[in-house]
Amino acid sequence: MSVQDILDAESELTHLLGAQQAVVLSTRIRLARNLDGMPFPGWAKVPQRKEISERCVDALTELPKFRRSHVLRMTELQDRERAVLVERHLVSKELASGKTGAAVISRDQTVSVMINEEDHLRIQVVKAGWHLRGTWHIAEQLDDDLGARLKLAFSERLGYLTACPTNVGTGLRASAMVHLPGLCLAGHMDKVSRALNQDGLAVRGWLGEGTEAAGNIFQISNQQTLGLSEDAILKHLGGWIKNVVEQEWNARRKLAKDEGERFSDRLARSYGILRHARLLTSAESMNMLSHLRLACDMGCLPEGHRHIVDRLMIEGQPAHVQARAGEELDSDGRDRRRAAVVREALRDFPEVTAPTA
Amino acid sequence: MSQPLKCSLCEEAATVHLSQVVHGKVTKVHLCEACAQKGGATDPAVFQLADALTSSVMAAPAITCPKCGFTDIDFRKRGRLGCPSCWEVFGEVLGGLLTKVQHEPEHVGRAPAGILPAGQLRRRLEAARREMERAVTSEDFEVAARLRDEISTLEQQLTPS
Repeated sequence: MSVQDILDAESELTHLLGAQQAVVLSTRIRLARNLDGMPFPGWAKVPQRKEISERCVDALTELPKFRRSHVLRMTELQDRERAVLVERHLVSKELASGKTGAAVISRDQTVSVMINEEDHLRIQVVKAGWHLRGTWHIAEQLDDDLGARLKLAFSERLGYLTACPTNVGTGLRASAMVHLPGLCLAGHMDKVSRALNQDGLAVRGWLGEGTEAAGNIFQISNQQTLGLSEDAILKHLGGWIKNVVEQEWNARRKLAKDEGERFSDRLARSYGILRHARLLTSAESMNMLSHLRLACDMGCLPEGHRHIVDRLMIEGQPAHVQARAGEELDSDGRDRRRAAVVREALRDFPEVTAPTA
Repeated sequence: MSQPLKCSLCEEAATVHLSQVVHGKVTKVHLCEACAQKGGATDPAVFQLADALTSSVMAAPAITCPKCGFTDIDFRKRGRLGCPSCWEVFGEVLGGLLTKVQHEPEHVGRAPAGILPAGQLRRRLEAARREMERAVTSEDFEVAARLRDEISTLEQQLTPS
C-alpha cells in the first residue's frame, strides 16, 4: 500500500461517497489513547517507540475495520508523500516530521490511527458533512476493540491518561470543518470566534492548529476533555454548530438580498477566473473555490456540482498538485498545473445564475 | 538593552507577543515562532496553558517520576508528561493546572471495559450508604447486610492501588 493508492482511491471526502452538505464540510472525532506502563512518545527512547509502534500496528491490523488497510511508516515515505497525507488530514504535521511515527489508514480513508504522535494512539474518524453521532459511534467501537486488545493507560479519577493535560479524561476532540463565506463577507467572523472561544470551543484554520483560514474554512472543536462526559461534549459542540450554521445562512441570505445583482456578480467573477486562469496560486484558488461552493449552496450553480468543488479544494493543495504531476515542479509549475486541473474539472459547469436559496 | 523575552512555553527567544483582555484584565503571553505556530493565536488554550505553566505552582522543588525519570523541570519546558505514572507523581502540580485548563478536575466519561469511572463509583457509593441507613432504621437487616458488602467492594475499588 502506498500514498499513490490513497491518492488514486475514491475517498469519503474527495468523491461523493458521503453526502456533501452546505456549510459543514466534514465532521471529525479524535480520541487520544496510550498504552499502560509505557513512556509517552515525546519522552520514550527509540527502542521503546519502536516497541509501541509494533504493538499498536499489530492490534490495529487484526481488526476487521482495518482489513486491507494502509500501514504507513513515516521513515519509509518521501517528504512529498508525507505532505500529501498532511494535506488530507490523515496525519498531522507533527507525525509527518517525526522519526518513529506510523499511521494505519482504513481503505475508504474515514479512519486513520496515528501512532507515536504526541500520544501512543490518536484515533481519528472523519465523515463528509455533519454526522456527529455516526462519526462518534465508529470511534467508540474502535476504542472498545482496541481496549480489548491493548491495556490502555487509564485512571479512575482522571480517565484516559495523555501526554498533555489539555487532552486528559475523555481524550476526545470533536470537530466540524465549516465553510463560512457569509459570516466572513459580512465581517462577523471575529465576533463569532470570540463567542465560541468564550464558551470553551476553539476555532482554527483549514489545516488545524496555527493555520490560516484559507477559503473561509474553519475548524471548530471542543477544548475541555476532563469533567465532561463524551455525550456532554458532543451535545455542546452540536448545539453550537447548529447555531453557527443558522447564522451563516442568515448572513448569506442577507448578503444576497442587500447586494442583489452584485452578489451573483461576485461569485460569477470568481468562476470566470477559475475557468480561464493559466496560473493559480493555492491561496487564490482556495478563495475562488470558496465562492464557487457558496454558489452551489445558494442555487447559483447546480447543487450536484458541489462535490467537484470540494475535491478541488483538497486536490489543489501544493503536495497534491505535485504528486499528480509525476515530475518535480517549481512554484510557477505548480500554479500552472493547478490552473489546468481546475479548468478541466469546471469544463462542464453551467453559467452562474441569480440565487434561489 | 533589556533581556530578550523568553517563550512562555519553551524558553526559546520569544518573537510573538499576544495580549488578551478578558473582563478588563490583561494577560500577556510571549511565544517563540514554533510554539506560536503550534498553538494558534486565536486559541484560548495558549493563554490558559502558558499561564498555568508559568504560575507559582510550578516553583515547587524538583520531583522526579521513579518510573520514567521525568522531572517537574521537564514538564515546565515541554508542557507534556513523561509517562502515565507521571500523572500520580505530579498530582499536586497538575491539580492546580487542571482546574485552569479543564472543566472539572475529575473524569466522568467512558472507561475501558470492566472499569467504572470514579465519578460513577462514588455516586453509587453515596447512594448505597443512604440506602443502608434507611435499611438499618427500618430494621431490614438482610438488605443492610447486602448493602454493607456492596459498600466495602465500592470502597476498595475507589482506593488507589
